Amino acid sequence: MAHDVVIVGGGHNGLIAAATLARGGLRTLVLERSERVGGCAATDEIAPGFRVPALAHRTAIDSHVIQSLELERHGLRIVRPAAYACAPTTDGRALIIWADTERACREIATFSSIDAERYPAFLESIRRITVVVRSLLDASPPDLDALAPADAIRALRTGRQFRALGRTDAYRLLRWLPMAVSDLVGEWFESEPLRATVAADGVLGSFLGPRSAGSAAVMLLLAAGEGRPIAPGWMPRGGGGALAEALCAAAKQAGAEIRTSAAVCEIRVDDDGRATGVVLESGEEIGASRVVSAVDPRRTFLALIDPIHLPPEFRRRAQNIRMRGTLAKVNFALTAAPEFQGLAARALADRVAALSGCVRLAGSVDSIERAFDAVKYGTFSDVPWIELAIPSVTDDTLAPAGQHVASAYVQYVPHTLKDADWDHQREQLGDRVVDVIGRYAPGFERLIVAREVLTPADLEQRVGLTGGHVFHGELALDQLAVARPLLGWAQYRTPIKNLHLCGAGTHPGTGLDGRSGLLAAQAILTAP
Amino acid sequence: MKYDAVVIGGGHNGLAAAAYLARAGRKVLVLERRHVVGGAAVTEEVFPRFRFSVCSYVVSLLRPDIIRELDLPRHGLEILPLDGTFSPMLNGDYLWRVNDHAKTRREIARHSKLDAEAYDEYGRAMVEMARFVKPILAMTPPDPMTRNPRELLKLGALARRFKALPSRDRYNQLQLMTMSAVDFLDQWFETDVLKATMAASGIIGTFLGVRSPGTAYVLLHHYMGEIDGAFRSWGFARGGTGAISNAIAGAARAAGAEIRTGTAIARIRTRGGSADGVVLDNGDEIDASLVLSSVDPRRTFLGLLDPKELPSDFVADVRRFKLRGSSGKVNLALDALPDFRSLPGPGPHLRGAISISPSIDYMERAYDQAKYGEFSRRPYIDMVIPTLTDPSVAPPGKHVLSCFVQYAPYALAGGTWDQQRDAFGDAVIDTLAEHAPNIRDIILHRQVVTPLDLEREWGLSEGNIFHGELTLEQLFFLRPVPGWARYTTPVRNLWMCGSAAHPGGGIMGAPGRNAARRILGHAH
Repeated sequence: MAHDVVIVGGGHNGLIAAATLARGGLRTLVLERSERVGGCAATDEIAPGFRVPALAHRTAIDSHVIQSLELERHGLRIVRPAAYACAPTTDGRALIIWADTERACREIATFSSIDAERYPAFLESIRRITVVVRSLLDASPPDLDALAPADAIRALRTGRQFRALGRTDAYRLLRWLPMAVSDLVGEWFESEPLRATVAADGVLGSFLGPRSAGSAAVMLLLAAGEGRPIAPGWMPRGGGGALAEALCAAAKQAGAEIRTSAAVCEIRVDDDGRATGVVLESGEEIGASRVVSAVDPRRTFLALIDPIHLPPEFRRRAQNIRMRGTLAKVNFALTAAPEFQGLAARALADRVAALSGCVRLAGSVDSIERAFDAVKYGTFSDVPWIELAIPSVTDDTLAPAGQHVASAYVQYVPHTLKDADWDHQREQLGDRVVDVIGRYAPGFERLIVAREVLTPADLEQRVGLTGGHVFHGELALDQLAVARPLLGWAQYRTPIKNLHLCGAGTHPGTGLDGRSGLLAAQAILTAP
Repeated sequence: MKYDAVVIGGGHNGLAAAAYLARAGRKVLVLERRHVVGGAAVTEEVFPRFRFSVCSYVVSLLRPDIIRELDLPRHGLEILPLDGTFSPMLNGDYLWRVNDHAKTRREIARHSKLDAEAYDEYGRAMVEMARFVKPILAMTPPDPMTRNPRELLKLGALARRFKALPSRDRYNQLQLMTMSAVDFLDQWFETDVLKATMAASGIIGTFLGVRSPGTAYVLLHHYMGEIDGAFRSWGFARGGTGAISNAIAGAARAAGAEIRTGTAIARIRTRGGSADGVVLDNGDEIDASLVLSSVDPRRTFLGLLDPKELPSDFVADVRRFKLRGSSGKVNLALDALPDFRSLPGPGPHLRGAISISPSIDYMERAYDQAKYGEFSRRPYIDMVIPTLTDPSVAPPGKHVLSCFVQYAPYALAGGTWDQQRDAFGDAVIDTLAEHAPNIRDIILHRQVVTPLDLEREWGLSEGNIFHGELTLEQLFFLRPVPGWARYTTPVRNLWMCGSAAHPGGGIMGAPGRNAARRILGHAH
């Protein structure tokens, strides 16, 4: 039977789009290349009994999505950390950013009383500013060439919200968007551990150092979901895979059909430039009145579509979408939780709570910047920046009793090495990560039962992220909003009729939040 | 006796503001601390009979309307074309772009046929972009938080102009405003040295690398000249850069403005939150209904005023204003011409700019060193030999070589600039020697100008040649301070007219002109 919609790619955005479209009454089929759906939301058993968040170790699925798809009814259990981030030092201290602001301030005060005074004001300013950012993320960007009345109304609303910020915060928003996050944290705080811990959100997954202009915008975009900075998001009980299962269940219950191990190799386009279906690697052809691609724009336009169907200028622009991944993933199965020097003096309960969020290993903003320097020349730093998550601390389903799994975001790592190949360097990278973690948690290497290293090239292989870029395209000012994925094509449409995009490469594209999938589906349902 | 306006600082912007006010019949006094007018646009006889454009050394953006309105040629301004850019490479090859388009195309084709083709298209696109930006240089930035509908309409008009652009230009404009020079150029070209040399113009005077987002915009400046109908890109003033300031000073005097050099100001005098004159170092007081400051905001508001007289959030914004000087100058008096390994002997390639920017990685490494508080051991150098176009500035047969050097961070991790000055100069000579081995044997005199010198001698805080970083968060309605981009200040009758005001630095003269026109009510 013919489908109303086939969705290419069963990542979180693809599933959310599928569920939304199916609820809208469209016969929807999701085609996933690998043997399981979820994309970056996955849980892998890397050793018997050790289940680790294989890729993302933090998600921030939009509350609208959670409600509209009733994900909690479909088994999603959100585990919110007691501490957003813990930044141990090598000299036996630790800065713990507790979720409870007062408690966080007491911690910060041990590093700087001035910073402790400023921290609440900082949170409040980010909260107010991200209200405006959020209202931009929650709607499809306008088409500059065909402004609809709805766009005007939305613009007015956002304009009012902007002016309602008052001069101080309004100007902050304008100044911060193009600014370097190192300058932003420098304006607020004086203690390096706090500066580095906050600045890290501005470079996550990006080809940006803290000193790169535009990194403050990344921090604001990621903060917009929950209206707070510093590792915003949470982990589902059961790891990313549990989120995938909940989304899958929601999509199926809505009536969507989901096929795994079904790799699409071509999107079929007829002579009048209309998408008519897809072709699988098996040769099987599947017809559909609409094709929706959840894979990144470069893969969609350059790998899945015969060039003849796209204007050369459009292809050139698609080729120029910047997606140079810098994030590598290292997963560990551990016999015990790492013992961070910086936490040694604390009570057990506090030690556990401190590790419930992420652990950020950077002594200073400059140490992150130095880690970035290497990647510009096609190598990786001796001292990469690391964000470690130990989800088994709060989730006993992931590891055998008393034992643990850990997941490390490692930056900066090039997709392609300058004068070497990953097959010879992959484990060296892993050793460096172990070495750096060991500086903060002596004896870490002795805890390791199993280790898995995923370079950006591996991420591309495994999840289909072109360039290994976790956001399906750099979150740069020229690749956001009306220009995401490309200026003039930000409404989830493409030059090919009946072909739509719904992946993170479209607006807003801010990580594992599902907004792109939801907005794309809504745009398709309301399209004439 | 009382002046209508007293202008603090006799740089090109202060002088331009004074000239416009005087022409409108105002009684104007310009006060310059140094013995000579011009500020950083100055020619000085540093060594006997060798006259250097000590700081700023080429002219490209001087607004044509200023040249016209102030009739600068009549006051001695003569701009000589600077033909092309010669970029020696370390592999013995070179890239030599000249103003003759066909020649340049052939030269680029020598490196890459594709690039030669892209070069035309690129040029056309950039001229379009420059057309879009040009009017913005002459406008007083509207304040996005204003309640004044007139201002909001102006913002709306800007948005409409952008919307009205063909989609392709819109796309380029958006990229130019936000991307890094390298990312932008990567979309057009493949030749490393070509991209490196073009990208270099994006980082001049700014503490950013060629890969830092926000550096693409300045690429435009090289195309402004074309639509100005002036020389395509860069030129010299006969007699050195000081000749520009002298011409503007001449126009100001002719219009009745009074200019006093060697007159340092102790403070701006205020009464009831309103400026009413200045107090000199020697204690003399000068009454004026208006005070215009062409010096940078840090000096103006934290040095010449008592911060207590200013709103605290304004003071905080001024303190936050990024200056961060990142460049220095090395001026050499030469016995003969440098002899480049890649293109030996004298020749027309020495008459233009010579750019030591052999590769993108070279440029980026120079930046990486500076980020952590060292000067680049192998810096980016942009140099000119004015004596080849204007022999008047050196004794017969001798030459002056003016080297703009980046990066030289104002804040050093170790030691002071007074201790590092010679090491910095040596690094520059070593770098030059890699390309022109004879350089050491032909140096008669050497002047090293560090960011600290720029601050102490020329009054540029932190040695920033633009009076403040030209980064997006410090441009247009955010320059110098959000809410105060319209040349006014929280102190009544105190105006800003220097490079720290919109549209910023370079020998443009636009801030001085815009401020004066605003005061005279010609512009809103």
